[in-house]
Amino acid sequence: MSCCKVPVLIEAQVEMVSANELENKSLFRQEEDATQTKEASLMEQGSLSTSFPQHTPKAPKNSVLNSIKIVIFCNKLNLLLPFGPLAILVHYMIDSKGWVFLLTLVGITPLAERLGYATEQLACYTGPTVGGLLNATFGNVTELIISIFALKNGMIRVVQLTLLGSILSNMLLVLGCAFFCGGLVFYQKDQVFDKGIATVNSGLLLMAVMGILFPAVLHYTHSEVHAGSSELALSRFSSCIMLIAYAAYLFFQLKSQSNSYSPLDEESNQNEETSAEDEDPEISKWEAIIWLSILTAWVSLLSGYLVDAIEGASVSWNIPIAFISTILLPIVGNAAEHAGAIMFAMKDKLDLSLGVAIGSSIQISMFAVPFCVVIGWMMGQQMDLNFQLFETAMLFITVIVVAFFLQEGSSNYFKGLMLILCYLIVAASFFVHEDPHQDGI
Amino acid sequence: MRSQIYFMFSNFFKSMGWCKVPGFMQAHVEMGLVDEVELKSLLEQETDSPQTKAASLMEQGSLREHRAKAPRNSVIQSFKIVILSNKLNLLLPFGPLAILVHYLIDNKGWFFLLSLVGITPLAERLGYATEQLACYTGSTVGGLLNATFGNVIELIISIIALKNGMIRVVQLTLLGSILSNLLLVLGCAFFCGGLVFSRKDQVFEKGNAVVSSGMLLLAVMGLLFPTVLHYTHSEVHAGSSELALSRFISCIMLVAYAAYLFFQLKSQPSFYTEETNQNKEMSEGDEVPEISKWEAIVWLTILTAWVSILSGYLVDAIEGASVSWKIPISFISVILLPIVGNAAEHAGAIMFAMKDKLHLSLGVAIGSSIQISMFAVPFCVVIGWMMGAQMDLNFQLFETATLFITVIVVAFFLQEGTSNYFKGLMLILCYLVVAASFFVHEDPHQDDI
Repeated sequence: MSCCKVPVLIEAQVEMVSANELENKSLFRQEEDATQTKEASLMEQGSLSTSFPQHTPKAPKNSVLNSIKIVIFCNKLNLLLPFGPLAILVHYMIDSKGWVFLLTLVGITPLAERLGYATEQLACYTGPTVGGLLNATFGNVTELIISIFALKNGMIRVVQLTLLGSILSNMLLVLGCAFFCGGLVFYQKDQVFDKGIATVNSGLLLMAVMGILFPAVLHYTHSEVHAGSSELALSRFSSCIMLIAYAAYLFFQLKSQSNSYSPLDEESNQNEETSAEDEDPEISKWEAIIWLSILTAWVSLLSGYLVDAIEGASVSWNIPIAFISTILLPIVGNAAEHAGAIMFAMKDKLDLSLGVAIGSSIQISMFAVPFCVVIGWMMGQQMDLNFQLFETAMLFITVIVVAFFLQEGSSNYFKGLMLILCYLIVAASFFVHEDPHQDGI
Repeated sequence: MRSQIYFMFSNFFKSMGWCKVPGFMQAHVEMGLVDEVELKSLLEQETDSPQTKAASLMEQGSLREHRAKAPRNSVIQSFKIVILSNKLNLLLPFGPLAILVHYLIDNKGWFFLLSLVGITPLAERLGYATEQLACYTGSTVGGLLNATFGNVIELIISIIALKNGMIRVVQLTLLGSILSNLLLVLGCAFFCGGLVFSRKDQVFEKGNAVVSSGMLLLAVMGLLFPTVLHYTHSEVHAGSSELALSRFISCIMLVAYAAYLFFQLKSQPSFYTEETNQNKEMSEGDEVPEISKWEAIVWLTILTAWVSILSGYLVDAIEGASVSWKIPISFISVILLPIVGNAAEHAGAIMFAMKDKLHLSLGVAIGSSIQISMFAVPFCVVIGWMMGAQMDLNFQLFETATLFITVIVVAFFLQEGTSNYFKGLMLILCYLVVAASFFVHEDPHQDDI
């Protein structure tokens, strides 16, 4: 981490992956890991530095076998990997969409985590700016890929609901669990976080809601100039503006990096104590790029089957598609971030938890959603920002509630419990909500 | 005369001291006694002295004791203490008068008015009885008692209306109670307090206010989703979906309220010590409550029964009153009923603000709103569920929108942690706007009775 110099806010996601790794390593098998890390570090013996930050990472030259071992085998979560091919087999052999959906979901879960790992490794080589950008883009790449596939199939509603569900899940469930678990561990005091950053993030979320709200209201007051095409044009324009806002946000974060460098040093000091690991990346730059491509291709493949199976699963399990898209998919997609945020909170690093949860929400609402609209524009798909009244109202209330909770700059288990209960209410509402605007497939 | 005031003051402060009721709920309890004190100091005092002297004679030996000595009052004594020692109780005879009118004259309007007047003192007496009982039961149960009985009048009126199938009246009454507490009571408190202390801004504890606002937002969320579900016509099973959703949300809200009480009781200590230190200076009287534990329970039961009877007649008369006075039922339910039901809390909150104890005012006003929105409303849904009445959380679009805006405005006003007369005036004017809106609002979803 220390040698990568990635921005604090985005550091969260990067740290989380390596923390995950650390956690996983410490919790699970260690014999396997020891050999690989020892091998890797042997090669970097000469460049092991006690003083950091390092300025030129030494690229370890791993053989193909080593590389596979490091990336694939040193994480217990990867036991779920075989579910991927299994799902594809099932897809062709049995006609039960429900099973295909379930297996694909399970198969994608470890890939999200590995993608994060590969991104973080690559970020070590590319310097802070590009590293931050990489993280910002690839942080939610699973949802992005699923959305683009659904877009290609013309399942616009699924795209909207999946992205919406991801925002809601990050803001309520992930944040609530983090506050709750952190509050339980430190129940004698209120945990504090940086109020300034939280306020900026809340402002961005509100701006995203504004962007999503206006096309919906325009549609529902039947007051468009050219009925039907107006809101599409408005959506595309708003999307461009939101992308610009997101770019400005990244720029602002990276520039004001230097101010938050002092807490960063503090973090690095702590890391130095806790991590007996080496400070160099484990795989070389080209390995990282190759793995990134392989993992992305693999996720795309599985997502294709996943998206195909959504309708079938909804029918065979008797659950509304809205519920599957909004609640089930994002919970799986965010599993890794979820665990990371909770761990950070329990270590009293609430700023990082916030960075993961709220940062992810901002990424989706200010980047993924407009990006999908633009991609749809290029594909010729009629994806717009009109998320329909029910969903838009939900998002609006949720953002207001969360922005309000973040205002104070402190958290305790009660606030976490409130957020989790809010999420239960949202989930229950979607369970009885039948989407009247189903895509015809 | 002065000693009387100090005696009552010390009595209540000391009883507060070792009753150990949670800070924010203390407001309700304290208010009951402060009402008494204020009324005594403002109105007649001769009638009071023999009773209080008699009561204190019995407790002479128990000065500065820490366990509650239960005074053994005779029935007459008890009656005198509870009924006659409060000038407000002069309104009590209006109750039976209302019932007489109900059977003699056929004018629903008059009957409604008299019932309203008859119920007003009962609210205050119920608060007093609850506070007395709380002295015996310890802090936890005492706090719970306060939390439940604080708005028992609205609860009773609602349950009776539910039994009659007047679901809309229930929703509107509870909604009106929330609005009245948030805007009118709070606004008056801020305004009057601000006028008395016109030179500075009064401050209150921001932490509590923010948590309370969060709870209110949660309640609004719970009310909003079934409404939006209904109005986007997007239910899976039209009609029964939102009922199922409402019931599920009600259970969640009750869980949240229980967690809120737990959280408040756990994070009590700092607030409580501050109060007792202040108390020690002013108290000279005894520390025991005025009536024994069983007396308190008996009086609580009697008063509750009396309120139920009057409420029964009241609910029956709503429609008739609306017709004879030419006012929409929604206006009566949302504006008139809650103003009366909250009269005692209203007076208490204003008095606290004028004594620069703004956190107690907030405790009364916001605490009452939370009680209603997070406890009374879901509780009524659950009771309706058991009764088979189709009460849900869909308060219809107009009312839900009003509640949403109100909560946002109030949450915003509370953010800063200070108040002045201007903020109070703003809140009162907001309430006038809300009242005016309901005056011209015809509810398209009337219950058939």
